[in-house]
Amino acid sequence: MMTTGEAWKIDAFVDGELDLAGQLEIEQRMDHDEALRQRIEAVRALRESVREKADRHVAPAGLQERMTTMLGAARREPAAPAAVAKSSSAGWTQALERWLAWRPLVASTAFVGLLAVTVNVAVLQSSQQDRLMDEAVASHVRSTVGQHLVDVASSDQHTVKPFLSQRLGFSPPVRELQLPGSVFVGGRVDYLGGRPVAALVYRQGEHVVNSFVWPDTAGSDTAPEFALERGFRIAHWAQGGMRHCVISDVNRDEFQRVVDSVRLAAATG
Amino acid sequence: MADDADWRRFEQMAMPHLDAAYNLALWLTRNADDAQDVVQEALLRAMRYMGTLRLESARPWLLQVVRHTCYTWLKENRPAEQVLLDDPEDAWRDLAASSSNEPPALAIRKADAQQINDAIAALPVAYREVFVLRELEDLSYGDIARIAEIPIGTVMSRLARARGLMRTALAPNGRPVLRTVARSAQGGVST
Repeated sequence: MMTTGEAWKIDAFVDGELDLAGQLEIEQRMDHDEALRQRIEAVRALRESVREKADRHVAPAGLQERMTTMLGAARREPAAPAAVAKSSSAGWTQALERWLAWRPLVASTAFVGLLAVTVNVAVLQSSQQDRLMDEAVASHVRSTVGQHLVDVASSDQHTVKPFLSQRLGFSPPVRELQLPGSVFVGGRVDYLGGRPVAALVYRQGEHVVNSFVWPDTAGSDTAPEFALERGFRIAHWAQGGMRHCVISDVNRDEFQRVVDSVRLAAATG
Repeated sequence: MADDADWRRFEQMAMPHLDAAYNLALWLTRNADDAQDVVQEALLRAMRYMGTLRLESARPWLLQVVRHTCYTWLKENRPAEQVLLDDPEDAWRDLAASSSNEPPALAIRKADAQQINDAIAALPVAYREVFVLRELEDLSYGDIARIAEIPIGTVMSRLARARGLMRTALAPNGRPVLRTVARSAQGGVST
């Protein structure tokens, strides 16, 4: 039986962190020590269970975007962080490390300055995002109350796709949704954020779904972000080099299913 | 000091570890909004001593900054969380000694995601961080020691203790894991 004082060895053994002699010693003892064998089995069970089932949280798309923007801003405007850094020159790194190690509560002017830049960037970004949301809602409402729901009325993706590609200068993914009750109505050219975008139109029962697509400059895929704007549900995300924005007035669960199937359609179309 | 190439290098090295940073921050603060704030602040800090960043150790390097930022944040916002940091190193022996009624591995394997997440969240923060870094980030004892700024021996004992608490929490009819209690609730308000 292993003494309690060396219980940590069991964990280190399971983690493969013991030296070779230590690993071998435990392996040998396992053969004739049932209690030890059971403890090792329990550590392994915990390890496997946790790795399989516990949440490994993924950074939300919003955070990812904010950080990228923040870094981009810092890079483009060396006047902000770099000039501050220069002003205190060589002792700066050491001072900072001291500050980080011991005195995290002491606010430095550099930090405040950088924070101001970040906040500005974040506000700028969020106001851009808000404007886009507003435009998406306006466009959705126009399309549903006016006569101009679609430019090309067809449930055939092979008719809609070339129609849009010719007028847009990019080729949006066009697919009907694999969703019960969904009807592909057609497509139109619309404008969001000052650029032409493809609008794919679906009917979900009595409700109209507008799915906007335009080329994405940022690059990497992001998870959908959901918002509620004047009673309309909106989701937007980046996928396969395209920016997607879906809007409708269906209920929450239905909207989630619509977004899932738009993502699936975009991935396969 | 920081020219364009430095920024680009920083972005390429740090950004791939944003998920790891957020995961650690969320497990330590146990709140998604707070975790976002902490990660943002940590990256701001990290940007300013990016000169010490090396590619082969970018992840532990960034996580160390995230951890620092988390603790600063916890100290300001949840002073009670700090209590068990001073847990005597041999406290885990009590638990190890009671191994006679060790729950069978079967019960642990049957635990669902909710039970496991709750049990991790209930660990005192000093054990929780070592446990999360080991089981969710799959870091070596050496990297964990560096991130948490403790000797490897302490990594081992805290990990053994964390797993002991987890096993107890996941045992059938197991008593709940020791929860961190606010100091004020215990009568002594710290300043």
